[in-house]
Amino acid sequence: MPSRARARILTALAATAAAAVMLAGCAGGGGSASGGSGAPDPQAKLVVGSSNEPTTLDQVYGGGSGITEVFTGNVYEGLFRITDDATVQPLLAKTTKVSDDGLVYTFTLQDATFHSGRKLTAADVKYSLDRFIGKDSVAARKRQLSVIDHVDVVDDHTVAVHLKQRSISFTYNLGYVWIVDSKAGDLTAKEDGTGPYRMTDYRKGDSITLAVNKDYWGAKPKNGGVVYQYYADPTALNNALLTGAVDVVTGQSDPDTLDQFKAAGDTIIEGTSTTKDLLAFNDRVAPFNDVRVRKAIYSAIDRKKLLDSIWDGRGQLIGSMVPPSEPWYIDLANNNPYDPALSKKLLGEAGKSAGFTFTVDAPQGGVYSTEAEFIKSQLAKVGVTMNINVITNDEWYQKIYTDHDFQATLQTHVNDRDINFYGDPDFYWGYDNANVQKWLSEAEAASTTDEQTALIKKANQQISDDAASVWLFLEPQLRVAAKGVTGVPKNGLNSLFYVSGIQKAAS
Amino acid sequence: MLLLAFVLAATILFVVLRVLGNPVYSLISVGATKEDIAAAAARLGVDRPLIVQFGDYLRQLVTLDLGNSFTSGLPVGPEIVRRLNVTLPLTLLSFALSMVIAIPVGFFAAWKSRTWYGTAFSAVSQVTGAIPVFWVGIILVFVLALGARIFPASGFPRTDWSDPGAALYALTLPVLTIAIVAGSELARYVRSATLDVLGQQYMRAARATGQSFGSALRRHGVRNGIVPVISILAIQLSTTFVGAVIVERVFALPGLGDMLLSGIVEQDFPSVQGVLLFSTALVLLLGFVADVIQRILDPRLRASLSGNRRVRAAA
Repeated sequence: MPSRARARILTALAATAAAAVMLAGCAGGGGSASGGSGAPDPQAKLVVGSSNEPTTLDQVYGGGSGITEVFTGNVYEGLFRITDDATVQPLLAKTTKVSDDGLVYTFTLQDATFHSGRKLTAADVKYSLDRFIGKDSVAARKRQLSVIDHVDVVDDHTVAVHLKQRSISFTYNLGYVWIVDSKAGDLTAKEDGTGPYRMTDYRKGDSITLAVNKDYWGAKPKNGGVVYQYYADPTALNNALLTGAVDVVTGQSDPDTLDQFKAAGDTIIEGTSTTKDLLAFNDRVAPFNDVRVRKAIYSAIDRKKLLDSIWDGRGQLIGSMVPPSEPWYIDLANNNPYDPALSKKLLGEAGKSAGFTFTVDAPQGGVYSTEAEFIKSQLAKVGVTMNINVITNDEWYQKIYTDHDFQATLQTHVNDRDINFYGDPDFYWGYDNANVQKWLSEAEAASTTDEQTALIKKANQQISDDAASVWLFLEPQLRVAAKGVTGVPKNGLNSLFYVSGIQKAAS
Repeated sequence: MLLLAFVLAATILFVVLRVLGNPVYSLISVGATKEDIAAAAARLGVDRPLIVQFGDYLRQLVTLDLGNSFTSGLPVGPEIVRRLNVTLPLTLLSFALSMVIAIPVGFFAAWKSRTWYGTAFSAVSQVTGAIPVFWVGIILVFVLALGARIFPASGFPRTDWSDPGAALYALTLPVLTIAIVAGSELARYVRSATLDVLGQQYMRAARATGQSFGSALRRHGVRNGIVPVISILAIQLSTTFVGAVIVERVFALPGLGDMLLSGIVEQDFPSVQGVLLFSTALVLLLGFVADVIQRILDPRLRASLSGNRRVRAAA
């Protein structure tokens, strides 16, 4: 090739490379394109970015939390509603009457219409409750609602629910049960609820579109519609916020990314979640059937350091299964303090001063490997050897949850009000304390919430004193909203995400 | 023959999936009782003996019924068709672009193989072919989407192909990503095929009869050189299709690859089976088509099939 041609080609290549570098450099740093500084626009359409896509549209069909985030309170409503502060408010149950023995709840219903046009009747409520606790249901809160004995339709607007025993949490638990149209049939491909939004488009793997329900019986939403856009890859989700493709991210799990959002002018919203990270023992088998050994392990772990390394100073330390958002919360974070000397002393008392070895079954992925490695190094300092066995989520349900074939395991529990699992000796961790069982069942049968709170607090204190599990920490609920977007629910109580209050400023 | 290969693949798939896990555990959550788990297993049909499940599976295949997803309950067949909306254009465009990149680059590298710039082309294509495809994707997003804001960082428009401009705009970076990596690999094949052709006696013979280099190449070189490249192309098309799995994740495209990944994570056997059987059928079909094209182009291959004495004599 003649040298002139060669020179031209080389120059062209160099110029292109330089241009690319300049473009990347000068425009780098991003900055949200959406959101202005004007007054909120009531017609604004929002895009919510999430990585928690529902695996199915019907809560009875699958127990994942994704559908709660999209549908509960937005498309479907329950008899009651749980607010962002974890209080119970009436919703479709206009009035509630409870019999003296606490076994019959009579509800009169709001004048509401389903999205298909049919009016809400008591028959729909009966249908919804029956299918929620039915044989084929795998709904996430089925266990709590199996206290229902049967449901009677009194008249078109009145329904009576008969319970097997008193249940003071009954109205709270009803906040998660959707009231669906009994004539709608199969709900895996469509919806028929009474909520402020209707679903107008469903693309699995991509998005769910909600449009405002013009015939909604309650308060009008403050925006003009919402699209939930799903990203399986967290980087893609973050990029979407930076480029303005989404207006809010419902759950940010990487605190290192927060600085770039702040730099772009986005708002970081930090609320509490009910997501607890645990090192759970099998309390049935040696050495963890000895409370001294459990407490020794608890005190050997510097949980603050672990929380800081994973969540960068956010989140909270907890000393039991109860997070601060629950009425029976006690600050027990230092009940089993980080104290390696105490740990060694307890091990000595338990006859384990020479140390011992055990295996922890850690589910694959993310935070579990970090936790496992950290705990291993901490325990080594008190002479305890921990072997890490990595398993799949599937294997966890078989080996640990069903077969109880383990010594210790790492797990994350997202449900709210789940201290009740410590009242079930057949639950996977096998904690069996007769007092705790008594207090928890009495609490559920209590006639006032004060009584309930007092009893559960006793149980709360006991499981902490017994170090039934090691409660490593409570995860924060990190949400990020673009500039000009307000009204985003702060707390992530069991993945609830009400969108009707979110507003976006006119750009 | 094709059918046998397909059935064999389908059987292996069935066995591997069922040995790997229990799909019920993706449906339930902590709090489920033993009765709930048993009821869910019965509903999905996974508590029956394997031989019975396999019988059902084969029967469904024969009627082209891919069943319903274990997790969403929705039929798998229509879901695959909907996802093809994204994956098919992505694959075809990437494939086309990779050829546009590979053929000139490979040819140039071969033609000028004894010069430093020809070697440079070859070296660069080796490097770009070795880079993991998701890394290329991330770099392109960083430079062209986050940095220069020319293209979207992710997503596929909800308006689908009713707005072809928007759809193509969304597919630009993903197509570029796959094309760069696949094109580099293809370039190496083109280069070696071209080198092979350039060294052949018939090229020298053609030049000796007075043909120009270009004419000799077109009339003799390409026709001979293209035959091995066609079988590579068929493999490339299949690879691009399967490689779309990773790219769809990075760019949040709701395609077949994403369906496969989600299905695996959720232990959704019907979805995984559906996508893999479809891909298997496609790969087998493409291989067959490539075979046919090769026989059309090269009479020497035809002879072994038809045993036509006249053709043999002419070649």
